[in-house]
Amino acid sequence: MKKYLFIIIAFFPLIKINAQGHGPLYGLQTPTLAKGGFDFNAAAMSIATENDQSFMIRYVWSYGITEDVQVNITTPTVINRLSIPTGTRGNSNMPANGDIEASIWYRFFSNAFGVGKRIESTAVLSGSAPTEKNRGQTKVSNSLHAAVSTGYASRTWYAWVGGGYQYYFQKGPDQLGDLPYGSLVVGYRPNLFMGDYPKPDWRIFVESLAEFPGNNSFEGQLTPPSERGKKVMIGPSFLGLYGAWGLSFGALFPAYQDINQNIAKEKYRLSFNISYWL
Amino acid sequence: MKKLGIVFTLVILGFQFANAQLIKVVQEVFGMDCAPCAYGLERGLKKLDGLEKIVVSLNDGKAYLTLASGNTVTLKKIQDEVKKNGFSARNAKVIMIGDLNKVGNEWVMKVNNETFKMEDRQSLNIKNLASGLVKMSVEVADEDDKQLSNNWAIKIIEILALER
Repeated sequence: MKKYLFIIIAFFPLIKINAQGHGPLYGLQTPTLAKGGFDFNAAAMSIATENDQSFMIRYVWSYGITEDVQVNITTPTVINRLSIPTGTRGNSNMPANGDIEASIWYRFFSNAFGVGKRIESTAVLSGSAPTEKNRGQTKVSNSLHAAVSTGYASRTWYAWVGGGYQYYFQKGPDQLGDLPYGSLVVGYRPNLFMGDYPKPDWRIFVESLAEFPGNNSFEGQLTPPSERGKKVMIGPSFLGLYGAWGLSFGALFPAYQDINQNIAKEKYRLSFNISYWL
Repeated sequence: MKKLGIVFTLVILGFQFANAQLIKVVQEVFGMDCAPCAYGLERGLKKLDGLEKIVVSLNDGKAYLTLASGNTVTLKKIQDEVKKNGFSARNAKVIMIGDLNKVGNEWVMKVNNETFKMEDRQSLNIKNLASGLVKMSVEVADEDDKQLSNNWAIKIIEILALER
């Protein structure tokens, strides 16, 4: 752990970054980095189930190839894995499972139509490789993830809506269930935080995810029952920005859960994220 | 009277040694909503050679640039930087100095390889304007971010000083 912290701190002065908008913690977002911009994120994440709790530190390095195309790579340091997985990405932008993920974001539509106002749409394509052999009792393989989101940003209100799909390939006789999901985020910047740059900038989000995890296939058999699980998670998150630093934290709680026997019921998700631009 | 004479002489001398250049630019920026947006734009614009001071305002949606004497900054470089950060550069208000000339029926000023052409309607209506070294405040019309060139349409707000 100390080793990773040292690497993060040691590399901070070397990272050349241009900043760009910073979005929600759990839901899909649309902002991409500036052309030639770098961004580094370190996140502490946890998922609590009825009998277990995962802990993870995750790092994300992002680079803006153009103002509309961004590439990311994210790697986890898993401190505690869940013995029974929850069938979720946990966080749309960086998975809360043990995957190493590389992704490309393409902001295919952008219309800046006023002071502080813009509407934009972004597509995400990711490929990931697991850092563990089994997730629960199921062998875990590489996966693909694709998502699309559209959002509105202004100085006061934010909103993003999107959907994604993750597909795990078969590994021997096993296959992790796929995951279609949708996300909806509304954000608000109170008057108190309308102070102009370079004053600190805070925002509040209400984030929600609807997830429909498919069944795992174990030893070639689809684990019963064959219907998809259904989960709706909702909760607050907070984003604070000051100069080159961004800090966000939040939690999601289940509003509705109808899941299969081979997936653990969730109690909550926690996330704490630090971003740095230079 | 003596003081006035000195000031007048200094102004004339100042003109003699002044290159055509942008002096101040207030660039309107659309789509910039948050502190990291402003931070990124500020950092990008700070890389311009000849920048003396930069202030980025989220609430105004503007970047206020003061440029050093002898700078070679162009409006296109400023607007390209806005675009690189993912925003839209709109109208700009510019104070600049340069040779104002009448080409055909159009008043034109060339500054650092950029051409600022007075809008036709104003060209026709304006009176008491003569060719020469002019310091003026102008409003630059918005151009499509995807097709930025070195040619700009301007509307003169005020002639600040001129030497005929």
